[in-house]
Amino acid sequence: MKNLKTILLLVFFTSLLNRCSDHVDYEAIEGYQITSEIYFQQESDYDAALVGTYDPLQWLFFNIQLGAIASEISLCGGESATDYIGIQQIDDMTHYPENNVLRQMWQFLYEGVNRANYMEENKANIDFDGKDAMYGEVYFLRAYYYFELVKFFGDVPLFTEARLTAGEAGTLTRAPKEEVYAQIELDLQNAIGSLPDSQSQLGRVNKYTAYALLGKVLLYQDKFNEAVSALDNVIGVYSLVSDYGSQFLRFGENGPESVFEIQYSNQSNWYDWGCAHCSEGNYAIIMNGPRGWSGPEYAQGWSFNVPTEEFYNSFEEGDSRRDATVLDIEAFAATTGSSYTEGYDHTGYFNNKYIPRAGESGGQTELNYLTNFRIIRYSDVLLMAAEAYNRGGIDDGLAQEFLNQVRRRAFGDDDHDVSASGTALTDAIWEERKFELSLEGHRFFDLVRTGRASSLIPGFVEGKHEVFPIPQQEIDISGLTQNAGY
Amino acid sequence: MGIKIIKFQHQKIKLNMKKSILNLFIALISVCTGIQAQSITGSITDSEDGEPLAGVNIIVQGQNKGAVSDFDGNFTISDFENGSQLVFSYVGYKTLNLKISSTDQISQNISVLMDKDLSELDEVIVIGYGSQKLSDISGAVSTVNADAIEASSPVRVEDALQGQASGINIISSGSPGSKPTVLIRGITSYAGNDPLVVIDGVSASIDDLNSLNPNDVKSVNVLKDAALASIYGVKGGSGVIVITTKSGERNSETTFTFNTSVGTQEVVRTIDVLNASEYAAILNEASVNAGEGIVFPNISDFGVGTNWQDEVLVDAPIINHSITASGGSENTSYYVSAGYTGQDGVVGGGEKSFFNRTNFTTNINTDLTDKTKLLVNTNYTNIKGKSLAENGITSVLSNALNFDPTVSPYENGSFGISETITQEIINPLAQIDNTYNQNKVDKIQGKIELQHELMENLNVTSRLGYTYVDIYGKSFIPFQFYGSGHNQTNANPDLSPIVAVDSEGNITSTHNRVNESHTNYFNYTYELYGNYDFTVNENHNFQTVAGFSIGENKGSNISATNEDVPFNSWDYADVSAATGNATQQTSGSWQYVSRNLSYFARVLYDYDEKYYASFTGRMDGSTSFGKNNKFGFFPSASVGWVVSKEDFFDNIEVLDYLKFRASYGTLGNDNISPQFSLISTFPSYVFNGNITPGSSLGSIPNDDVSWENQVQMNVGVDTRVLNDKVSISLDYFKKTVDDLLFSPNLSLYLGVPSFPTTNIGSTESTGIDASISLNTSVGALEISSNLNFTTAENKVVAINNGDKYIWGAGYGIPYRNIVRFEEGYSPGYFFGYVTDGIFQNQEEVNSHAIQNGAVPGDIRFVDVDGDGIVNDSDRTQIGDPFPDFTIGWNLNLAYNAFDLSVFTYASVGNDIYRAYERNLNYTNRFASTLARWTGPGSSFDEPRVTFVDSNNNNRASDRYIEDGSYLRIKNIQFGYTFPELLTDVWGFDEVRAYFQVKNAFTLTDYSGYDPEISVGGVLNTGIDYGTYPQPRIWSMGLNIKF
Repeated sequence: MKNLKTILLLVFFTSLLNRCSDHVDYEAIEGYQITSEIYFQQESDYDAALVGTYDPLQWLFFNIQLGAIASEISLCGGESATDYIGIQQIDDMTHYPENNVLRQMWQFLYEGVNRANYMEENKANIDFDGKDAMYGEVYFLRAYYYFELVKFFGDVPLFTEARLTAGEAGTLTRAPKEEVYAQIELDLQNAIGSLPDSQSQLGRVNKYTAYALLGKVLLYQDKFNEAVSALDNVIGVYSLVSDYGSQFLRFGENGPESVFEIQYSNQSNWYDWGCAHCSEGNYAIIMNGPRGWSGPEYAQGWSFNVPTEEFYNSFEEGDSRRDATVLDIEAFAATTGSSYTEGYDHTGYFNNKYIPRAGESGGQTELNYLTNFRIIRYSDVLLMAAEAYNRGGIDDGLAQEFLNQVRRRAFGDDDHDVSASGTALTDAIWEERKFELSLEGHRFFDLVRTGRASSLIPGFVEGKHEVFPIPQQEIDISGLTQNAGY
Repeated sequence: MGIKIIKFQHQKIKLNMKKSILNLFIALISVCTGIQAQSITGSITDSEDGEPLAGVNIIVQGQNKGAVSDFDGNFTISDFENGSQLVFSYVGYKTLNLKISSTDQISQNISVLMDKDLSELDEVIVIGYGSQKLSDISGAVSTVNADAIEASSPVRVEDALQGQASGINIISSGSPGSKPTVLIRGITSYAGNDPLVVIDGVSASIDDLNSLNPNDVKSVNVLKDAALASIYGVKGGSGVIVITTKSGERNSETTFTFNTSVGTQEVVRTIDVLNASEYAAILNEASVNAGEGIVFPNISDFGVGTNWQDEVLVDAPIINHSITASGGSENTSYYVSAGYTGQDGVVGGGEKSFFNRTNFTTNINTDLTDKTKLLVNTNYTNIKGKSLAENGITSVLSNALNFDPTVSPYENGSFGISETITQEIINPLAQIDNTYNQNKVDKIQGKIELQHELMENLNVTSRLGYTYVDIYGKSFIPFQFYGSGHNQTNANPDLSPIVAVDSEGNITSTHNRVNESHTNYFNYTYELYGNYDFTVNENHNFQTVAGFSIGENKGSNISATNEDVPFNSWDYADVSAATGNATQQTSGSWQYVSRNLSYFARVLYDYDEKYYASFTGRMDGSTSFGKNNKFGFFPSASVGWVVSKEDFFDNIEVLDYLKFRASYGTLGNDNISPQFSLISTFPSYVFNGNITPGSSLGSIPNDDVSWENQVQMNVGVDTRVLNDKVSISLDYFKKTVDDLLFSPNLSLYLGVPSFPTTNIGSTESTGIDASISLNTSVGALEISSNLNFTTAENKVVAINNGDKYIWGAGYGIPYRNIVRFEEGYSPGYFFGYVTDGIFQNQEEVNSHAIQNGAVPGDIRFVDVDGDGIVNDSDRTQIGDPFPDFTIGWNLNLAYNAFDLSVFTYASVGNDIYRAYERNLNYTNRFASTLARWTGPGSSFDEPRVTFVDSNNNNRASDRYIEDGSYLRIKNIQFGYTFPELLTDVWGFDEVRAYFQVKNAFTLTDYSGYDPEISVGGVLNTGIDYGTYPQPRIWSMGLNIKF
């Protein structure tokens, strides 16, 4: 009897131990998680990964904001002199390598690059119809991310084969920007080669989007002849809308003038402040709104990115773009009986292109504005073409024609046509870009690439401020070199 | 004539006893003559060596009579009533009660034998998979018994450990039912420092203590070093708190106890902020300094205005009731209890802030056969609670501190609003009114245990421990109005939704919102182990245990949100009642599971209770570890030497007892999740105006990840002097952790996936725990006192994550980081700028390093790195939230029927960072602003006020650091035990009434509510976000036995 008990106990014990051997193993499926080993096995996985590659575009709101704030036409603003210190410093040209805004931007852009590379890494897994066209989008996006990197930081680490692994942390060095540009051009040429003329869904890039971006990339390198041949493909494909201001409203989005827009939506009702950029909404919009606004049409915001009075006054008489671009808050409040409070650097003006408009957000209103960023508009293509034709000494007549198309729309007549040529025409084109494209993220980079930044931006140091500093954290971790002067 | 012998025999303590030193004989010879009792004489001697005992107190209970034995141990008491009870008490000896039979007349000599009270040292304590006499332990342990817990009557049992046990540091919050920070011997890990909690052998966590009724606790033992904790292996790295709950005694009649107390809580200190007219004057000056006009033309209109702190701080009740029944038959014992604790919040009051707990506990222990015992413990807890926002810029206290004092609490029947403050800060009364939430917890915790005696001294235990928790939560965000354009406003003044029409005529509207969520946790642990005790050659004693443990922890949650709650009413706030359409409804869920499998063994050895040694080892496997590192082994060993048992020691009379201890071993920490190369389906983008789901690589695995390996060394000494009246215990420890678990900061060009947790850091802690206790008496006054001293110095030795540091908590808008876990520093230190007074004039500004935006009247920040520019790289260590040392002092006095216990706690060297100021132009300010700089020489520490702070005077700096050292009388309890004559009449065995004051008095230089500040985490300690103060509690209570 006693032996039997002992035997039973032993049997029980050993059976438990056998059962236990895999007790501490764990498979991802237990948490309903998908691992990379079982991914990229069907077309829909590729579709999803491509959407994921577009996703970081939405995080680049500071790229657009800084294009204005870093220039002379707009101030940082905000609540106080210390509200968003990283942007205040960039406004004042006192920024240095420790800057949260720049660090986040750097990391977000590289996330875009890595997501595109992850698709490249898995390209050969399976074949399906339309795969080439799909990769056209991938290469376009990678080109866009690298172009932003090279615009902001100059020489940057360059990799294209695969997503980096943890083991590759700290192993890369900065590639000369010429190499980065060469890769961007290559990606865009590949994209042009495989992208369709049009896409069924608004928001996807097509062949002409790639041509337009290629033209811009070439112009940034002063490659005027090549820029002309790229941009020529886009001329006539799009058209200017008659009412300049309408394209910045909700229902002007993705219109006939729109070449490339970053898409946002107010449907996700995002309310996690811990990850503001995770929203499908545009987080930049709330920043640009009037503080404590109580009145019609607009909604309250944080009074950042405020245009200067000088800029407002520099618009020519009769230019319809002034009021579409800049909101004179005092006048508007007076006529509508509205109220607001003044923030730091109050100029009395607000960015009317990217401003919180009543009813255009959802859920947590700060995080869900639907307003798209207009990245490349047809008027930009015309002005780029004009500049390339003019500065390349190719055809000032065509340059005038493109420039004047833009001016006629702005003034509603041809009385304001420009007939200058040579460098006078160049100056006119550059000046036109300021009014046509202001507060859309171009100004600072236009001034830098045309060598006018130091004369126009207070505090701008030549040989230093053309590019922003490599984030200090990246230098500490990865041992990268710093840009000159920082 | 008759002779009566009264014999007291205490139960022998099990486990390898050789001789009973607990045996107690009292021989009482009484002579009955039939005449009324008048007097009694006798002599008192030590039961062991027969020495006469001088100075023994003899009291006739309930009568004002007594005597003290003379030099030869003789005593006489005369003129006392028949049927009286004599109480013999003597320090270091067990108190004796003798009842004189009512009909007996006593005039003869009686001999009274008193037993040495070695109970504290001979106390058998539970150490995990077994128990051991305290005097036999060669590791480091602290114990707290039921008396100490009762004396402090805490809401959570771990609060009673503060200062009562050396080596353990508790930082509590005043928020009802909230979890304190519990640190055993310092901070070693970034991943988590919560000790393991073991309740009646069942593993649990500090979080589980919210459901334990402190009244049910019999003892708490804190296992501090590797020798003791390594039986819990990878879970033991932060120490182990072993809790034993009460059980019944066999062969005893049912005893009922009823404990009740009712109290009120009050906040004693408030923070000095500007009153209305001061506020108006300062704002005028700030506006003028910024080149703008005057804000308030007529300051004198305002008076003192509204003191928002007075508006939100209320006196709130706290009540406790518990009833227990315990007893046992020959084969069964039982303990049954029911308890209720209700604590309302002093911030905002009990309507919106409370913690109510109801417990039912049943502990049954029965013999199934003469060799098999069944133990079933079951604890059901129900917790209901509501809470208001705490610890942040949007908390009620933050609003009370920052809101405009010129606004009235109510205006025209609704809450007063500020026209000038448009962000975050709101009328705190309106906030309280608009806060709606509730939380319900149902929890069953317990064990089913079989103990079987396989053969003599070989016991096998089979135990299933389990915890099941169901948490239901609901919150409602109603339409609320704090002024037009205020960013917390989501409704019109009449609380109708704000409807917006865009340029195309599309209508959108704001909504109210309700969220419901259900969370379940289920944990079980099954353990099977055998204990075998044996003796070889008479003096070689062994206690051994070996076994295994297998367990699983699971959790899951599901939640849903909907908008448009009918009538904007909490009564209708439910997802089912809300009328929002499909796009307004959102849902979410999560789940996790972790499993572990462990084998453990321990050998305790002693030679003649003189030389001790122990060996312990545990092998732990966990789902948390990487594929290549599934099992870790954690061994430890200890030795002990009772020097006073050596022959040569007999000559040393000063010391009654002396023991040395030393231990060395390893422990772990496994606060990580299983790792995979995971596809995240979170990314999405917008095509055609619709959100389109996408994917990306979300995380990268590390197959080599393992536990944090902790090496601990402990040396200690225990001694007793002055005839055993004073006991001293001293321990020195050193802990080093290698393989600290971190998510490394990899190159930013890797993008944003979550990087694998890796073993890449190390920390080191050293410290001293000391305790000294005294038991003595002066006449009828019995004194016992206990002083605990705890210190730990912590250092982060290495973090190989690239940056060499990790940010902890921060504060404010814009957000400022303040806490760092950094290589070369103590963990969780404060990091910021160093101030160096105020620039008095432009020359001082010019001669200082470049400090952008500085003008006279601004703070001069030190150019720490000396590069001529004041910027981020000049930030440095500016404080440490953890104390240099803490001291707990217990004093218990008893005089006849009266008892008094006073507990004092002191924390020295802890810094506090003041982080409750919002710093908007129109928010209120700290009163020190009144001493601001207004011109050269006017102030050397308080900067000018201005609406345009171009110098960023509010940056994180030592300006906000204060010394948070304090001494606090934590608890005073004064009790009176009613005479038996009276209680007999009432039908009770014992009735004690007491009066108690908790947090009676605090001595500190700190300017805030409470220098004891915790938000519950190591990297979030010592930051005063407007911390929830610990209230002073006045209460009265009754303990009744019947």
